[in-house]
Amino acid sequence: MQTVLTAEQNRRYAEFQEFAAAHVAPFAGDWDRAQQVPPSAIAQLSRAGYLGATIPLQFGGRGWDVVTFGLLNEALGRSDSAFTGILTVQAMISMALLKWGTGDQRSRWLPALARGEVIGAFALTEPEAGSDLQAMTTQFRRSGRDGGLILNGEKKWISCGQMAGVFLVFGNLEQEPTACLVPRESDGFEIEPIQDLLGFRAAGLARLRFHDVAIPAANIIGKPGFAFSHVAPVGLHYGRISTACSAAGLLRGCLEESTDYAAARKLGAQRVADLGMIQSMIARMGADLDAAQLLCWSACRAEDDHLPEALTKAFVAKYFASQAAVRAAGSAVQIHGAAGCHESSPVARFYRGAKIMEIIEGTTQVHERILGQCFVQDAVKRQRARLPPMPP
Amino acid sequence: MSTNDPSQVKEVIRGFIANSVNIDALGDDENLFESGIVNSLFAMQLMTFIERKFGIEVGMDDLEIENFKSVSSTAAFVLKKLGGRPV
Repeated sequence: MQTVLTAEQNRRYAEFQEFAAAHVAPFAGDWDRAQQVPPSAIAQLSRAGYLGATIPLQFGGRGWDVVTFGLLNEALGRSDSAFTGILTVQAMISMALLKWGTGDQRSRWLPALARGEVIGAFALTEPEAGSDLQAMTTQFRRSGRDGGLILNGEKKWISCGQMAGVFLVFGNLEQEPTACLVPRESDGFEIEPIQDLLGFRAAGLARLRFHDVAIPAANIIGKPGFAFSHVAPVGLHYGRISTACSAAGLLRGCLEESTDYAAARKLGAQRVADLGMIQSMIARMGADLDAAQLLCWSACRAEDDHLPEALTKAFVAKYFASQAAVRAAGSAVQIHGAAGCHESSPVARFYRGAKIMEIIEGTTQVHERILGQCFVQDAVKRQRARLPPMPP
Repeated sequence: MSTNDPSQVKEVIRGFIANSVNIDALGDDENLFESGIVNSLFAMQLMTFIERKFGIEVGMDDLEIENFKSVSSTAAFVLKKLGGRPV
């Protein structure tokens, strides 16, 4: 992996790994049990500038390339996917705003998001509508005052909802998909924490309810009609990149914890690591890790190069890395035996967290449907290229 | 590309779009967003393609279905953004 990175990217990757080892790994188990990340830990993330990783310098962010952003997510994902989820969501809302916000909206929100003064949340999913955006029931209607809107509806499974200060909320305005920023303190906006998830417990998921919430015209992002086709996809793209890299980090955690354990643990006179069945599991983890990291790099690099295929590459990376993380986490628990089944071992948390990676930002099955279409379209393209040109 | 010749711009856009649709013959004025012609990634991929290929930026003010609904309308939009600037 290191060989495809620039010297600067490698240097930052080492910095991110040090940060994770010092400020995340020792506390991740406690956060998981408490089902929340304390404000002091988020403040640490802010001070390091990581919440503004992809936000341009002119708005107070770090202006890093997407490869560096991916490395940050991988390094933190190694220790805690829930904590990394804060980075995921901050990038989702920030990049959607950067692309589709007005000058005033960018100036108003991006510096605060970059400095971590405000945590964002991406409110797309509903109790009865996940990947099927057409099933969304959240509604905006015109307030009749200065182009403002009134919002009614309900969202569920919203990461960082418990601690976010501003929410990018999606719904329909007269059947036109629309996105608006909704501050936490808005009248009629109710936030209910969701507890006891399988994994990702510290990511602050929440259920949101909007009862006649007044939205000023200045908070509409993009234009009505384009929220599902243009605004949400920017955020979801960064969400997939972040989640793919975080899953690759979780996979690395499984491999490192497993090899450390297997090299130290004895079975009679033999090390566990010398058992063929264990070596098979470790070999699969190691090969999957290499593949996942390279797929993540490829997706990030394509985004840095602003290539149209960056979207499909992010799908591929997330599809592969999240499934590989699930496989690796299962193997890691198996290698640890009973020790891996207790919460004192990080692999127990990895096992629970890995499954979430396969669900968020589109399930594996949603990825298969879209990637299946894309790969068939590639074949059609190749076939057309072989055909003689149509007569004029 | 070395010019902003309208026919050349249109040809480049037609080439990209034709490879993204799942029908064999696409008319220049055919509506791309009619059900089933393109997949859910297409709108973003088209935007990224024209931004990169022609060195333009699509922003909030450009979000009009008229700008992207067909080969012809996308080419017209790109040429308007270029405003005579060589590409």
